[in-house]
Amino acid sequence: MTRTHLSIALFTVALAWGAGCAGNPPPASTPAKPSTGAGSGQGSAAGSGTTSTPGSASTVPPPPALEPPIAAVPNEPPIAADPYTGQPPDVINKLSPLKPVFFAYDSDQLDDAARQALTDDAQVLKKYPSWVVTIEGHSDERGTAEYNLALGERRALSARSFLLSLGLPAAQLRTVSYGKEFPFDPGHNEDAWTKNRRAHLVVTANK
Amino acid sequence: MRLAVVLTICCAACAVAIAGHSARVIAARMAPQQTSTEIDVTLSNPSKVLRLAIPPFAASGTDAELDAAGRTVSETLWTDINFEEEFDLVSRDAASKMPPVDSIDAIPYDRWVELGADFVVALHAKRDGAALTIDLQFVGVRTSSAKKIGYAQTYASCTVAAARACAHVIADDLHKTIRRLDGVAQTRLAFVSDRDALRPGAPARPTKEIYISDYDGENQRRITANQVLNLAPSWAPDGNTLAYVSYIAQSPDIFVRNLLEARPPSRPAAGTMQMENMMPAFSPDGTKIAFSSTRSGNWDIWVVNVDGTDRHNLTNNANSSVVNNCPTWSPTGAQIAFTSTRAGSNQIYVMNADGTGVERLTSDPGVDRPTWSPAPFNDIAYTSGIPGGHDINLVDVATRQVRVLTSGLGNNSSPTFAPNGRHVAFYTSRWGKEQIAIIDRKGNIQLRVTTLGANTFPSWSRTPRS
Repeated sequence: MTRTHLSIALFTVALAWGAGCAGNPPPASTPAKPSTGAGSGQGSAAGSGTTSTPGSASTVPPPPALEPPIAAVPNEPPIAADPYTGQPPDVINKLSPLKPVFFAYDSDQLDDAARQALTDDAQVLKKYPSWVVTIEGHSDERGTAEYNLALGERRALSARSFLLSLGLPAAQLRTVSYGKEFPFDPGHNEDAWTKNRRAHLVVTANK
Repeated sequence: MRLAVVLTICCAACAVAIAGHSARVIAARMAPQQTSTEIDVTLSNPSKVLRLAIPPFAASGTDAELDAAGRTVSETLWTDINFEEEFDLVSRDAASKMPPVDSIDAIPYDRWVELGADFVVALHAKRDGAALTIDLQFVGVRTSSAKKIGYAQTYASCTVAAARACAHVIADDLHKTIRRLDGVAQTRLAFVSDRDALRPGAPARPTKEIYISDYDGENQRRITANQVLNLAPSWAPDGNTLAYVSYIAQSPDIFVRNLLEARPPSRPAAGTMQMENMMPAFSPDGTKIAFSSTRSGNWDIWVVNVDGTDRHNLTNNANSSVVNNCPTWSPTGAQIAFTSTRAGSNQIYVMNADGTGVERLTSDPGVDRPTWSPAPFNDIAYTSGIPGGHDINLVDVATRQVRVLTSGLGNNSSPTFAPNGRHVAFYTSRWGKEQIAIIDRKGNIQLRVTTLGANTFPSWSRTPRS
C-alpha cells in the first residue's frame, strides 16, 4: 500500500470512529490514530493533488498543516434531536408532528378532546414558526358529496379559529375542505366513519 | 348483427308524402329523382308509436373495414333509437334471427309482421376511400304498405373510422325529422373519476380527475392531469366548454376550458387564498356562471360573467353557520334554484336571477344538488333521503308535487338532465363503487355509463356546436 493510500485509509478510519453512531459521544481526548500520512511530503494525503511538476525548481513544497485528530472536535448535538429542521414538508408529515381533531356527526363543534389536541398542536406550531400548515376538513361518507364539502370547510375553519385564539398567526394557517372525497378509512362502518370526521393538519411549507 | 345491403331498384332517396296528415314532404339530401309514395302508416303522427326493426347487416364479404363500419352503424343506431324510447324496436335478439335485407322483393314480410314491425330499417353502406356513405330506408312491412319506402335518407359525410359518430348523426336526424324531437345521440357526459389514481405507478396522493365521454359511455377520456382533487364539472351550452373545480391552485377554484382550444383555462371566480369556489353552473344563454363561494366569509351563491366581469353576491349571507350551495338555472335563465340550510336542514330554494324573491321549494328530510330540467319540462331533480338511502326525486316547480325516480337500490345522487329533459344521469352505489348511470322518466335504468374506479358528479352537455 502506498503512503497515499495508507493515509487516506487511516483518515477514513479515524473519521468513522469519531462520527460513529449518533448519540455516542466521541472518545475522549486521546487521539485515535493520528493521520500520520498527512505530513509525509510530496504526493501525500487526501487527494490534495499536489504533485511536483516535472522540470520545476527543486524546492520541496512545505508540508501541509497537521489535521487535528478527530477526537478533539467538540461535541456536536446528536442529529436526531430535531428531525424537522430544514426538512421538506413530506418528510415532516411522515413523522406526524400534528394531531388530528375529530368531530361528531354533521357537526363542526370542538369537544374537549379536540381542544386539547389543538392546544398540543399550537405548542408545536409555536416552536416551528417556519411551518405553514393546511387544515384539511374531512367528513364521513354518509351525507351527500356537496353537503360534505361545505361541512369539511366548516370543520377546518373551526379548528383554525381555535388555533388563532391561542395566538398563532393567521398566515401560518390555511384551510381546505375535502368533504368525503378522500376518506382515511374506506370502511362502511361506525369505526371508519368516526376516523373520517376530522380536521387533519398537514405541513405544506417549511420556509 | 348484420344489416342488409339494399339493392335498390328505384332511386336510393325519395321524397315522400305522408297520408293522413297534410302532406309533409321530406327532401332527401341527394335525390336524383323525386317520386311520391303514399303509405297508410303515418310517420309523423305523434300518438302513433312506430315499431321499427333493424335486420342484421348484410356484409359484402369483400371489404372487411366497410363491413365492420356497417355493423357498427347498425348496432349503434339500434342503441340510440332504443334509448330515446320514441320508436318501438324489435329486440336485437329477435331481429338477429332474421335474414339480412338483400332486395326489397326478397324481404320476408310475413315474418317481420309476426315480430310486430311496421317498418324494416334497411341500411346500405358504401365507401370511397375513408369516406363512408350510408343509405337508409324505412321499408313498410304491413300488407297495405309492403315494399313501399316510407322514409329514405342518404348520409354522405360520414367516415369509415367514425362509424359510431355517423350512427349518432343518423339517430338524431331520424328523431328530429320524424318525431320533431331533439335527440341526445351526439351529446356528452363529464364526470369525476379516481381511476387514474389506482393505476400502477401513480403517485400515492389523493387524486380525482375530470373525464368526458359520449352520452352512452363510449370514448371515455381524461381531460385534466392535475394530480389533485378535481370536482363538479359543468358543461356550457356550446357543448365544448367545460367549467370544473380544481384544487390545483391555492384554494379550490373554478376553471373554464374550451376543449377545442389549446389555451389554458380561465378562472372567472378569481379564487384567492382562504376561499372556496365551488359548484359552477352556466346560464342557459352561456354568458354567466353561477357558483357557490366563501369569498364573503360565508357560503353564498354568486354570479359572474364568463369573462370574469361583474362578479356579485346573490344571497348575501350574514350567518356563518348557514350554507348556500349548488345553484342551478331555470330553462329561461330568469331564476336560480339552490340549496340552503337557513331553515335548519338543507332544502331547495328558488330566487330570481338577481337574488330577489327567495322562496322555499322542498321540505324533504334530506335534500341536495338540485338540477333544473330543460324545457319543455319544468321540474327539478335532486338528491333526497336519509344518508345511506339516497334517491333521485323530481319536484314539479309549479305544483310542488314530488315523485321518487330511483328505486331505493343503493345510494343515488347528483342528478343532471339530458338536454331534452327526457333522461337523468346520476351516480349510484347499487353495483358497488359509485358509477354513473342514466334513468328515464319512468324510472327505468337505460344505461350504465362507467365501470372503472369510482365515478361521481356527472354533467350532461348539449350537442356540441361544430
